[in-house]
Amino acid sequence: MSSEPALSSSVGPRDRESFFAAQQKNRHATWRMTALCVLTALAMGIPLTLVLTPLFYAGTLLTADVVSYFNPLPPEFWATMKELATLAVRVGDYFFNNKPLDPQLLAVGLAVLLVPGMLIALALWMAMLALFRRAGVGGAMASLNAREPSPHDLHELQLANVVQEMAIASGLPAPRVMLVDSAGANAAAIGTSPADARIVISRRLLDDLDRDQMQALLAHLIGSVGNGDLGIAFAVTSVFETCGLLGTIINAPFGPHARSTLWRVVRYAFSRGGSGTTAEADGIAALLTGDLDLQSDDIDRFFDTGSHRGPVHKFLAFVFFPIFFTNAAIKFTLWFFLTAFLGPCMALLWRSRRYLADASAVQFTRNPNALAGALRNLTEDSTAIPGGVWASHLFVVSPSQDTSAPQDKPTAEQMRLVARAWAESAPAQPARSSLTTGDYMRCCAELIATQRAAVSGDPTALARMTAFHRTISTLVPGPIAQSLPDPADLTAALRGDPAAIARLRSQQQNLGRHHQTVQKRTGFQAESMVAFHPPLKRRLQRLERMGAHVDWGAKQKWSSTKIIGTTIGFLILAPFILAAGALMLVVVAVMIMLNLLFLALWLFAIHSLFGLLAPH
Amino acid sequence: MDFSFAIFALALAILLVIAVGLLYNGLVARRNRVQSAWADIDVQLKLRHDLVPNLVESARGYMAHERQTLEAVTQARSQAISAGANVPARSSAEMQLAAAIGNLFAVAERYPALRATENMQLLQEQLTTTENRIAFARQHYNDMVLDLNTAVASFPRNLLAGLFGFAPAAMFTAEESDRAVPQAKV
Repeated sequence: MSSEPALSSSVGPRDRESFFAAQQKNRHATWRMTALCVLTALAMGIPLTLVLTPLFYAGTLLTADVVSYFNPLPPEFWATMKELATLAVRVGDYFFNNKPLDPQLLAVGLAVLLVPGMLIALALWMAMLALFRRAGVGGAMASLNAREPSPHDLHELQLANVVQEMAIASGLPAPRVMLVDSAGANAAAIGTSPADARIVISRRLLDDLDRDQMQALLAHLIGSVGNGDLGIAFAVTSVFETCGLLGTIINAPFGPHARSTLWRVVRYAFSRGGSGTTAEADGIAALLTGDLDLQSDDIDRFFDTGSHRGPVHKFLAFVFFPIFFTNAAIKFTLWFFLTAFLGPCMALLWRSRRYLADASAVQFTRNPNALAGALRNLTEDSTAIPGGVWASHLFVVSPSQDTSAPQDKPTAEQMRLVARAWAESAPAQPARSSLTTGDYMRCCAELIATQRAAVSGDPTALARMTAFHRTISTLVPGPIAQSLPDPADLTAALRGDPAAIARLRSQQQNLGRHHQTVQKRTGFQAESMVAFHPPLKRRLQRLERMGAHVDWGAKQKWSSTKIIGTTIGFLILAPFILAAGALMLVVVAVMIMLNLLFLALWLFAIHSLFGLLAPH
Repeated sequence: MDFSFAIFALALAILLVIAVGLLYNGLVARRNRVQSAWADIDVQLKLRHDLVPNLVESARGYMAHERQTLEAVTQARSQAISAGANVPARSSAEMQLAAAIGNLFAVAERYPALRATENMQLLQEQLTTTENRIAFARQHYNDMVLDLNTAVASFPRNLLAGLFGFAPAAMFTAEESDRAVPQAKV
């Protein structure tokens, strides 16, 4: 035994747990978290339906007015509407003025108020599930610059072998491996089910990790695939997509950006599938969740009174004004509940799956040290992978945002440059003077299609890509241009040319020295107060309990003053935080009330207008 | 009154049948996994057999006068193939093959030119992975056996196991002969 127990606080036998026990613990945690998520989703549904249902009824009333203008509806219809309205008023009275109400009537009233909104939200969610089920998650990463590992390079051969070994150890079919030549070092599992799962891994990882660590990393990924994490990731993603779709639909009357997104969704729904489907799905999903932000220039532009809009536009602005309020109410409600409640619940659920995957990795490799070393190495590197920013929760380690690489949301200036360069690279198209956001989106789609054609050997596509690369290098000077790989090299690398692969690797390695990474949360982790990836320290602690030897460095002992200070700090802050949360809830309630008020006024105006205009 | 009791008894019986069916299916699935894991080990062993001729050819160019070592590898391979399904002969033959290959690499260390060739590096990686795959296949088999044994022994499946004849399986252990350190023939 150690004669200096004060020096090393090693984990003793009582603190150990086997990886089987750890797996069971994490599986139970998953059930708990899932129940929590469901409860939170239901709780979140109530304010959402309070906003959606009036919109639904307003729409019905409006359509009824228009229809009855041309072809009068029977009086029973109007009588039923009046009954519903009085019922709603009585329910409101019961809640706010404490007037007594028959419980049966109360139940019916609540159903009438809440059910249509719930049905709409549920229908949208089902539609999202059905729409994206074919593509699964993470498709965008697989489309650009991903290649098979070549059997002539030692590291890549080791990678292919290690994947097979882990597949044997886990009893699962070996997933296809796709290598990405990027400056960041990270890996993710993508797909819909264990049968068609793929693993995206960056080339830099092969250089940074040794064979055992790579084995542990792949064991983690294959284990997570086998545990069904792809389905869970899909469900989590679909919730965010549904919220995004709701926001986009509400935005649609106002802005071309929202309309183009919706058009892409519709086109995707009717497409037959093909090589571009998964990337397209990811692109749509990114656009949808991008609309969850509180700011939206579409609506602002629409209601900009200082512009030179015509009278038709002004009339439309009046007609759609309450939708502006509904839009703001929905957005705020969604944002608040996602960030404060549902997001953290799903993050906690995802964290328990990560821990489970770690324990599975230990089971397959029987080597917890390897995984600990791999995780340690990963977090010290830059971990960004292009195309993967949106689906960042799929990665083994949270991908940080690379400040010098092209970011997910480029500035307006950058968008214009890209669009102009693309237009100029086309052989026979005149350059347009003004380019908008929609053009940028279209350019990106065309860029991806041309790149794919160039890879499969189309010479005109390759020529266009080279011209585009040349133009953009001259337009955008400095390190950003150097970070763009030569398209000829890319296409050669994708076909397996080892010289091109080596050239790309050296270019990325040179860049890696200049990159400064910002530890910012990316993807829709930004929509949640709790990060989706578990912190490294906690993962290492669990691995240590399973038998890893982790060198913690100097252990900081917390002095008693520090402990007391922190506790007092929390005690002081806690009421403020609670007060802020309550305030937010009050704001949500006020927005909903205002929304109802505006909607009611607007409806009254339109309805009486139709009453005046009626032929009799 | 009698009628409702009969309905209740019928529902209970149906539930019982369903429960027994589910438990039984679980046991069947586990036993099949054990059997397929056992067969997978054989697959990996055969993979090693297929790799040996390639290895010998690559080494022969450089180690022309180490004929004895090369011959030992080829002979061990043919013995392992011919042993077939005879378990004790097979396992000792596989062990001999592993020892012969290890010996070949030990000798190859003395030829730096051979060691540095890309071909040899790749081939060594292939052999490393083959040994690993055999080890992981055995580990997977043991995991499946653990699963089956736990299920067969715990309540309520142990009642069914006795009834339908599910026996716990034996784990893959290193036999005494395996543990003996093979002599390196120089």
